[in-house]
Amino acid sequence: MKRTLIHLNSSPYDSLACKEGLDLALVLATFEQAVDLCVSGAALALLTLEQNPTAEQGKNLHKLLDGLEFYDIENLFIEANAAIQPDTLWQSVQSLDSHQWQAMFSHYQQVFRF
Amino acid sequence: MQYTLLITGSPYQSKACHTALRFIRAALAKSPNSIKGVFFYEDAVLIGNHLAQPPRDEINLTQAWQDIAQQHHVPLYLCIAAAVRRGIVSDSESKRYELPHHTLAEHFQLEGLGTLVDMMNSTHKIIQFR
Repeated sequence: MKRTLIHLNSSPYDSLACKEGLDLALVLATFEQAVDLCVSGAALALLTLEQNPTAEQGKNLHKLLDGLEFYDIENLFIEANAAIQPDTLWQSVQSLDSHQWQAMFSHYQQVFRF
Repeated sequence: MQYTLLITGSPYQSKACHTALRFIRAALAKSPNSIKGVFFYEDAVLIGNHLAQPPRDEINLTQAWQDIAQQHHVPLYLCIAAAVRRGIVSDSESKRYELPHHTLAEHFQLEGLGTLVDMMNSTHKIIQFR
């Protein structure tokens, strides 16, 4: 089975890219495909705790994260970075050092970026 | 080698649809069976709007893709959820939503993401244009 990585790099509040990337991950998982997520750049805002966006600001995609395990999506990776405060992030992220982060992309047969 | 193309970049805000067009022309010229299909997702679904009227001195990108579909029998799929939210509706969807018009251009089809998953599993490589 092909392993797929969905790489989220767009702000969840700037465009639909983040939402549509998550949608693809959920559909892949629904079809019992092996899929992991990684998050970088402006998409890291997705992981911040205590979000309460209005309808104008966009959907609260953070709420989807707790449901990932029900789709058997077990891995959500970020690159360790001094600028990120771990205690402000969703607890189930897996933090990778720079070397692991770069090596991660070659562990998948398919990588899609949103 | 057979490819599936996943196009996610807007036809207006990026060159994704243009670059993919150049790729598919080159691939088909080399091997007529090299393309399994093309799946448009995110803002790329705007390619399937038959109401869009580009200026006459610019490329008609929708027509260019329709020509590919017609000449080479390559299926062009638009993600149905991404398309409907952006106003690209087929005749049947326009009836379902009780809309007076449909906007889906000829030779494009609305399909769910499950179709993309099927294509992923039945081609050697999938290439994203964003």
